Amino acid sequence: MSLGTKAKRFGAVAALATAAALALSGCTSTAGGTTAAQPLKKEDLVFVCSVINTTNPYFAANIEGCQTLGKKLGIPVEVVDSNGSSQTEISKIQAILAKGKKAVVFVNTVASSDAPTIVNAVKAAGGFVTIWWNKPDNLDPAKVGNNFVAFQKHSGIDSGKCTTEALSKAIGEKGGIIALPGVQDSTTSATRVAGLKEALATQFPNVKLLDVRPSNWDPQLAYKNSKDLIAKYGDQIKGVWTADDGMQIGAMQAFKEAGLLNKVKFVSDGLYPPTVDAMKAHEGNDAIVGETFHRGYMASAIGLYTAYLAAIGKIDPSKLPHEKRDSMFKISCVTPGNLDEYLKWDNNVAGWVDTLIEKGPWDTEPVPLVAGGPEVIKPEYK
Amino acid sequence: MMTTTSSSGTAASVTIDTGEILTPNSSAKRRNIFAGIGEPVALIGALVVLIAIFSALNPRFATLTNLQNVLNQASLPIIIGVGATLVILIGSIDLSVEGVMAASGVAFVLMSANSRGGQDMGIAAFIVPVVLGTVLGALNGLIYTLLKVPSFIVTLGMWFIGFGIATILYGTDAYPELTDDNLTNWAAKINLGLPNVFWLAAALVVVSALVIRFTRFGRAALAIGNNEDIARANGMPVRKHKVTIFIIAGALSGVAGILATMQMGGTSNHIGEGYLFLTLPAVVIGGTSLAGGKGGVLRTFLGVILLTVLNNGLVLAGVSPNYQSALSGAILVVAIVAAAWSQRGRLRIAK
Repeated sequence: MSLGTKAKRFGAVAALATAAALALSGCTSTAGGTTAAQPLKKEDLVFVCSVINTTNPYFAANIEGCQTLGKKLGIPVEVVDSNGSSQTEISKIQAILAKGKKAVVFVNTVASSDAPTIVNAVKAAGGFVTIWWNKPDNLDPAKVGNNFVAFQKHSGIDSGKCTTEALSKAIGEKGGIIALPGVQDSTTSATRVAGLKEALATQFPNVKLLDVRPSNWDPQLAYKNSKDLIAKYGDQIKGVWTADDGMQIGAMQAFKEAGLLNKVKFVSDGLYPPTVDAMKAHEGNDAIVGETFHRGYMASAIGLYTAYLAAIGKIDPSKLPHEKRDSMFKISCVTPGNLDEYLKWDNNVAGWVDTLIEKGPWDTEPVPLVAGGPEVIKPEYK
Repeated sequence: MMTTTSSSGTAASVTIDTGEILTPNSSAKRRNIFAGIGEPVALIGALVVLIAIFSALNPRFATLTNLQNVLNQASLPIIIGVGATLVILIGSIDLSVEGVMAASGVAFVLMSANSRGGQDMGIAAFIVPVVLGTVLGALNGLIYTLLKVPSFIVTLGMWFIGFGIATILYGTDAYPELTDDNLTNWAAKINLGLPNVFWLAAALVVVSALVIRFTRFGRAALAIGNNEDIARANGMPVRKHKVTIFIIAGALSGVAGILATMQMGGTSNHIGEGYLFLTLPAVVIGGTSLAGGKGGVLRTFLGVILLTVLNNGLVLAGVSPNYQSALSGAILVVAIVAAAWSQRGRLRIAK
């Protein structure tokens, strides 16, 4: 454990002690905002589910999670389609907040920099928000107050390690691979790349990273970059690492056209429906050898449920330990061998949400809380 | 000069005026012979220099495989570029490309045999998306000409309408993939040494170049871009030509949406992303004037090839992605300045 983490732990303990002292002296209403003192009534609530767009399979699953939880708890759900634009995202959320109902908000932010504006708007309106995936490191829920209930994500470094191990083993732990990260300044992509580089450096010294070409989460750019890299390296490429399954679709298409799909192995993050189909069909001689398991509906349901518990006064965010305010949830490594074990969740989203309601946001398999954030990239793997 | 002669008397001014008009006129004639060629030649020169440098940096650059790769990547921007060039020639702009591509791409995949199930509509799967593009293009043209709304605004709106149509058609089901491998492989399949999609793009370029050069319609387009009032005064059906050109552009965007979907083996409503801002610079780099009336599709062809070679070459040369964007911008500026050097005195826009 680093000194920084220790210091944060100490800070959290100190904050808890202060909060307890204030509570004892009867000052909860000022220290804890509106929650602890006056829990909101269920019928006054509306769930807000803000996603980057509605057609990416991951974001579509986000919406599914929000709607399933809303149905279970009997709370209406408003979906915000940001259409890839921070401006659209913020203005739509503000419009819903202005309608008057108390908002319980899940946001998959378009950009890190949107988080402070959204958090402040929700706080001013007396709502409760959980942010997923992207926020600036210095925006700490504990410092903002109870209305910013939590920041949650899955570890990108774990994802990168997971897929790199599968890829390296599949190509016999030697030979060249190429990597196609997402948007270059995306934390999610950067952490996954860091996991890739760390795994190669520490476990697979004979696997050579031939080239890294950011492909902006765009299947077509991934296709073009793959075509260029095939022209450049030809059959030196034994494996392809992409930061998400969308880009994997583009990359696989390029290798298919070059007649190399049967000879090259692919790994990626997300296990999107087309990827599941390809794995089930053993496409390209089992071309896809590794994936990660985490789900959009799980993320949004966990996020909304955490915020909901704060809204109705079941939890007091100011009394939660650090890792429950800045959280990292488990990510699992999927191979063609254990694929079926994971698909069972997708066939029963409603059942999974029932378990979530029963066990709470931090203890539901297969995505329990595993660590506190923020996730730090070591300089050598940047 | 003019003021001096006119003040010196009517009789004298006539003779002097004639001389003044004649002298520059004859030199302009001489220049005109090269005017049309100077810029493309410079552009080809820039292309040759780039190819030489990239070949020196990586021997794999100048191979048949990479040529096929570059032409495959250039094909869609070329097809869209043909429409964009026609529109720009009449002094307008069409920003609706990505929206129309999205609408036609999603319509195409949902009407073909795909992973969501549904019926395979055969040839209709190709016709309907192109008709959709045609209708959106026609709306662009009609609103622009009848309601006198600037094309910039109309087509910007149509971009979002197209995107909206795609989003509605797409719905919330899973990503639809084409299940017929023949469709998925068609674009990149090599025929006579080059990819199918490139042959299609090249045929479109040749046909449209001939149309612009040898038909009344083509000349009218240039005349409208050059000076609409004069064109109208000469009895040209300006509105009809303009609408026709927007229809052609819309149909070509529709075709591009289908091809992009085939290339990816499936689609979402984001299929058109990035194409507009690849194509418009290519048109301008090629030397088609944004003010209209000057340029052509062959130039756009060269512009697209130049941009594609640049990006491909930088990857093959191993330039770090951190520098690629800045470097490709810098090289472009140099290439354009070099290519347009012969024209610098007569550039119509220098804003």
